[in-house]
Amino acid sequence: MLFQDVVFWLLTVVAVGSALGVVLIRDLFRAALLLVAVFVAVGGYFVLLNAEFLAVVQVLIYAGAISVLIIFAVMLTRDVQQGNPPNRLQIPAVALAALLLAALVTVAVDTQWSFLPEGERQSVELVQTAAVSDISPETLEQAGAAGESAAQGVGLADLLIGRFVLPFEAVSVLLLAALIGALALVRPRPAPQDARASGAESASESAGAGAAGSEAD
Amino acid sequence: MPLTANLDLLTPEFALAGLAFLVFAADLVLPEGRKHWLGWLSVAGLLALIAVSVIMLWGVEETLYNGLLAVDDFSLWFKVLFMVIGVFIILSSMDFVSERLEHQGEFYGIVLFSVLGMNVMAQSRELLTAYIALELLSFSLYVLAAYARDNAKSNESGLKYIIIGAFSSAILLYGVSMVYGVLGVTKFEAIAAGLAAIPDTGAVSPSLWVGVALILVGLGFKVAAVPFHMWAPDVYEGAPYPITAYLSIGSKAAAFALVLRLAAEGFVPVGDRWEQWQLILAVLAAVTMLVGNLVALAQRNLKRLMAYSSIGHSGFILAGVAALSLDSNLPSNGVMLYLVGYSATNFVVFGGLISFFNMTGKEMMSDLAGLGGTQPFLAASIAIGMFSLAGLPIFAGFAIKFYLFTAVADEGFLWLAGLAVFASLVSLYYYLQVVRQMYIEPAEGEPAYGHGYGYEHVDAEHGEQGAGHNESGEGDEPAPARRYGAAQFETHPALGRRPSVTVIAVLGAGLLAVFWIGVYPSPLLDTIEAASKAILS
Amino acid sequence: MVDLVWFQLLSAALFVIGLYGVLARRSAVLILMSIELMLNAVNINLIAAAAHMEGFGSFSRFDGQLIAIFIITVAAAEVGLALAIVLRMYRNRSTVNVDEIDLMKW
Repeated sequence: MLFQDVVFWLLTVVAVGSALGVVLIRDLFRAALLLVAVFVAVGGYFVLLNAEFLAVVQVLIYAGAISVLIIFAVMLTRDVQQGNPPNRLQIPAVALAALLLAALVTVAVDTQWSFLPEGERQSVELVQTAAVSDISPETLEQAGAAGESAAQGVGLADLLIGRFVLPFEAVSVLLLAALIGALALVRPRPAPQDARASGAESASESAGAGAAGSEAD
Repeated sequence: MPLTANLDLLTPEFALAGLAFLVFAADLVLPEGRKHWLGWLSVAGLLALIAVSVIMLWGVEETLYNGLLAVDDFSLWFKVLFMVIGVFIILSSMDFVSERLEHQGEFYGIVLFSVLGMNVMAQSRELLTAYIALELLSFSLYVLAAYARDNAKSNESGLKYIIIGAFSSAILLYGVSMVYGVLGVTKFEAIAAGLAAIPDTGAVSPSLWVGVALILVGLGFKVAAVPFHMWAPDVYEGAPYPITAYLSIGSKAAAFALVLRLAAEGFVPVGDRWEQWQLILAVLAAVTMLVGNLVALAQRNLKRLMAYSSIGHSGFILAGVAALSLDSNLPSNGVMLYLVGYSATNFVVFGGLISFFNMTGKEMMSDLAGLGGTQPFLAASIAIGMFSLAGLPIFAGFAIKFYLFTAVADEGFLWLAGLAVFASLVSLYYYLQVVRQMYIEPAEGEPAYGHGYGYEHVDAEHGEQGAGHNESGEGDEPAPARRYGAAQFETHPALGRRPSVTVIAVLGAGLLAVFWIGVYPSPLLDTIEAASKAILS
Repeated sequence: MVDLVWFQLLSAALFVIGLYGVLARRSAVLILMSIELMLNAVNINLIAAAAHMEGFGSFSRFDGQLIAIFIITVAAAEVGLALAIVLRMYRNRSTVNVDEIDLMKW
């Protein structure tokens, strides 16, 4: 276990340090690079947590696609020169963040993570797997055996195109809506008037659209 | 049972997505001058889908995909409401879109996508599905809010909306992750089972409470409840006018449909613990209705006024949500009735205001001056809408407020009901301000001393121009300078036009609904009762 | 495996840092980056919970991972759309600092 602990703490130093850098550093471009470091470190946590597929997705999409998009935006809006100045809400923001952090830490430490007694946990699971639909002791008991077998050995892909196929389809519509929306917002008007500028714009925008679209499959 | 067994129950959703694709496809082949056909196509499709949904799904009570999705009277009821809202929004935006926006086909298609998102939201019984549906709706709205591409205000509105939307989604998701971390479940009824299973004596898991609280905060942003409302006025003001209407009617109704099902299936069955939450919700509702209505008093821009007014109405609806209980369907009936009445009233108000904006391009309250003389029908519609929003009898506003506030008082929240009545009285002031502008204030450029002398004065001053315009423009119109509010015609010749047939149809239908709900709501209440039973059993 | 509580604390830290970034910075692009931090915190939370509670009957670690996948997908689309709007804004106003975006009072 020692090895895992060491890895965890190393990743934590990278992740939290880079995250602080993202919000505190003045140079926006460096902030974007630090953000990539956070994404990669989070991918490392996923490996630690036996979620290898997620780790790959994290690196490909977050560290690959999303950060490229963000760096594009930073460059295109010439935000680099303007830097990353704080606004006037500095003190309230720090106060609110500190307050929330305190609350979350207390809560995380106080919580007994598996506080439900075994029997109760079973009943919650039965409801979750839809072995029963209304909550009463009798129905829960009746459905006992049915629920037990229902959810074993289900893999990620099975879930994705099985029980959760509806959100899956909804998310594909959502990606389409985002794609069409982004196009409608930045596509130059039919009659060309500012050819050079609109050409540059559509190039950047198609890069964005491509990155967003590639998640659909 | 295979997961695809009941797939036919989702016909309306699949057909709606298909309709949106059809609109996008038709957009490619239609010539530029005929793009408004796409609007009519969307409206016809939505009307057909309303009929199909009602015929197919009336009285059906099923769950799909292991309980991810419910096809019951509640979802049918909201589905029909959302599609009617879609029809009204498309109808009232057609003139606006063809005159002021580019990419018409995408506009209607994205509106259809957002209706799809709302439909799924009302049906989902699980946090992930609900979240995805919510995002489908929100994404469409982000795009629509920024749709006037070259208008800096609209860009700003879209940017603020997407930032706040993403921020609130992140908070909501953090809540979801905490609830999931403790209970391991995301279904509403499983959350109820989990909350109920917590032993009364043992320490209640604090993470669970924080998780639920964060979910509430996230949803609070979506319905613009008060500490989380600051985005609403800016987004409403900057968005294209029909989208302002859509935000205040559609997205509000959808968010409350979700809140209603989440509360009724996830929290209400837990008994004692729900009572603690009720108090928090009641305080939230009280603050929301007070702040919304009080700040509205200071507004001069009509869109901002309607934004604060809609925040105030959110407060009233939240009061209904806070009063939900297992013993009585009255609060949830009240919430749904309120949503219908509020939507119908807002159709009328926004229908009139959008039409006014199309004629003049103005959106300040003072610009309405003299409208009673120049456009009597529009002015009367807006006035009736304002009376209804304020809650005066005969109109829908009175019936819905009476029903909801009685229900809230019945559940033991007498103070909240009293506060709501007080807030309604406050709101009367600014709604009547609008009416006063239209009927009593003289129009800009017109001397303040009323009818008699004003005309000669105006005629003398602008005689040449006015006459010239009348000859070149609408010769067959009655000479507008003869009427009250004459000065308006000088600056905005379009005010002399009769409103288009679509506008009249929208306003007519809206007015009919406003009077019908105000006078004889009982058939509507029967359907609402059935819908309530589906979630509170 | 590392205790669940440490993952909770880590995720809380990332979430709060993101929250601070959203509230206290001016550049719209940086605000988007901060929101991504918050979403990453959510994903850590979900996957850690899923990994640690595996084995309670139906409590499969894939549920949590599934939600995380959806969140990543939506986040990607969100960034794409937000940047389209930011670029539009920049062309019209030549700024992306949210407190200079003040045609309407915030």
